[in-house]
Amino acid sequence: MGDNFQSNKTMASVMMDYEFKMKTQNERSKVEDLFDYEGCKVGRGTYGHVYKARRKDGSDTKDYALKQIEGTGLSMSACREIALLRELKHSNVINLIRVFLSHTDRKVWLLFDYAEHDLWHIIKFHRAAKANKKSVMVPKGMVKSLLYQILDGIHYLHSNWVLHRDLKPANILVMGEGPERGRVKIADMGFARLFNAPLKPLADLDPVVVTFWYRAPELLLGARHYTKAIDIWAIGCIFAELLTSEPIFHCRQEDIKTSNPYHHDQLDRIFNVMGFPQEKDWEDIRKMPEHATLVKDFKRSNYQNCSLSKYMDRHKIKPDSKAFSLLQRLLLMDPNRRITSEQAMQDPYFSEDPLPTQDVFAGCPIPYPKREFLTDDDQEDKSDSKARQNQQQQQQPNTQQNQVQANSHDHAANNAKRMRMSGPNQGNAGGGGGQQEFHQQQQMMFGGQQQGAGSQQQGNFQQRF
Amino acid sequence: MAGNFWQSSHHQQWILDKQDLIRDRQHDLAKLSEEEYQKIFNFFASIIQVLGEQLKLRQQVIATATVYFKRFYARNSLKCIDPLLLAPTCVFLASKVEEFGVISNSRLITTCQTVIKNKFSYAYGQQEFPYRTNHILECEFYLLENLDCCLIVYQPYRPLLLFVQDIGQDDQLLTYAWRIVNDSLRTDVSLLYPPYQIAIGALHIACVMLGKENLKPWFAELNVDMDKIQEIVRSIINLYEMWKSYDEKKEIQSLLGKMPKPNPAPQR
Repeated sequence: MGDNFQSNKTMASVMMDYEFKMKTQNERSKVEDLFDYEGCKVGRGTYGHVYKARRKDGSDTKDYALKQIEGTGLSMSACREIALLRELKHSNVINLIRVFLSHTDRKVWLLFDYAEHDLWHIIKFHRAAKANKKSVMVPKGMVKSLLYQILDGIHYLHSNWVLHRDLKPANILVMGEGPERGRVKIADMGFARLFNAPLKPLADLDPVVVTFWYRAPELLLGARHYTKAIDIWAIGCIFAELLTSEPIFHCRQEDIKTSNPYHHDQLDRIFNVMGFPQEKDWEDIRKMPEHATLVKDFKRSNYQNCSLSKYMDRHKIKPDSKAFSLLQRLLLMDPNRRITSEQAMQDPYFSEDPLPTQDVFAGCPIPYPKREFLTDDDQEDKSDSKARQNQQQQQQPNTQQNQVQANSHDHAANNAKRMRMSGPNQGNAGGGGGQQEFHQQQQMMFGGQQQGAGSQQQGNFQQRF
Repeated sequence: MAGNFWQSSHHQQWILDKQDLIRDRQHDLAKLSEEEYQKIFNFFASIIQVLGEQLKLRQQVIATATVYFKRFYARNSLKCIDPLLLAPTCVFLASKVEEFGVISNSRLITTCQTVIKNKFSYAYGQQEFPYRTNHILECEFYLLENLDCCLIVYQPYRPLLLFVQDIGQDDQLLTYAWRIVNDSLRTDVSLLYPPYQIAIGALHIACVMLGKENLKPWFAELNVDMDKIQEIVRSIINLYEMWKSYDEKKEIQSLLGKMPKPNPAPQR
């Protein structure tokens, strides 16, 4: 469909001036002329593909992230993403540097700064270490610094009336070595997801993307509109996951293809952690569209012994700690009572020692591996989406899917998708142990199973970059 | 996005200088008088308005589409892209940016065909709307490039509502001023002044029309550059003056005939 509009000679009018067209064509720079990115894919998902890129002319040696938007042309979500990112400017929100429109194949490319890490990988790393009874050395205040910067970025978005709508660890990026070392970048706002019925069920493409774990209870009960409070709930979930290395509202996700927002198992999981909400705690719960289903499906008495403080206590977070008290304010069931990002940033947790730092790694070596490159094997990948879905469930603490795990190893081996473990930080990861500024995050560290932990990651390496 | 106008691309890149605007129009103004040029824009603003109404878009979206259209021709001659193609392309792009549900390609083309046939036959006669989806999609890329990806446009409607609230809710005043803001889309003011100034200008005209002398102190207390407001008022009043002696139905065909047209690729 590219450039053949003038071939229709019978048309009464000429649509575009030839000279104008040639001039624009000559001035337009092509992404492939300016950047090297072949073979450097670091992410894929419903949103498209992300590559790690370098400038060809060597005018700088920085890494960039090039995102090729899924599909062709300007979908509504692409339009929203370009329109909003063009205006947003905050140190904790991903920065859109440039847009490339490729007229011949009608592809849209977005150029961003490259973020080496994200919370999905960081948490996964800690969990793998924990499973192997190893420890990871990170600064004592890292979780606090991460949370503070997430809140700062969300506060900026919210004060501009931009809702994220899809906050989860994979969308919270952290900058690696460089001038912005250890800085949080919020990425992949759920542009237009609410209004834009995807052509394909999201589940077909990317199981991680449609996780319900970070969904606020009101959404699960049929709330029709996204709100700031929904983003805050997700931040609460991420905070808990950072503290414990486990997704707090972890839930099996077999029927993720459902279009119904009501999700029994996910609600059950939330009540198992939080307890069943009392009328006085959430008065408007009766107004929720799915309230009748809730009453029919759930018995308060089943959750009598559940509370957030007990859950967190089991994970070694004391109910009298400042961290717990802030978590509780973020994870209030009633959206109207949940605190705002601004209030959260004023919480005493952040004025207590250790204070949050701009570099979440506080100048310490970064223990996490760099992103691996993915092979360009889309065919195989789509047919394999079922396997990836299963692999995702391996994240679960009590996985019983040994067989699938074995498969995933094969899968990884076949594709020779190798983790890049070479980073300069790697050797230092264990160093400096026992020093005061280090805090042994529970009991974790990548063990002899590096290969295994790495390959588990292979198939479902689909977070937003 | 409510956002901050002062940090927006609208404020930083798209409040143009009047002299620059006139200079960039030299090519077109060699073939058209300023008044003829304005009449042509008037006509295409009507097409955008009617298309938007047929597609049930909010006025905000229609206004954004109109500003895209004006921004494109602020930097390019009318001959670069046929405005009859660019107008629906602007509507299409604005509807996606303002998140108002996707207009299907076929619905857009059908609406263009019906609107041109039923509402603008005085301009196009028996001629059908000549473009198809692939033309719109290709044109959309050129539009986005020429807008430098600046898609969020601030409109005078929101500041207008706030001003009227501040004055003390006055529905008649709001209705008048709202319509004047709509009319202002047919002038260059959206390229030259920030939207809050346009809102004040529209309020000013509405007050004069309604004989609301009592609001003089309110205007006097505003901390704005009154010269700018006067320029806005003059632009809009000039439009009304022009309308008095102008019959679009009679004149538009010859105006469209005079309009600079795209040249096709050289024949080999």
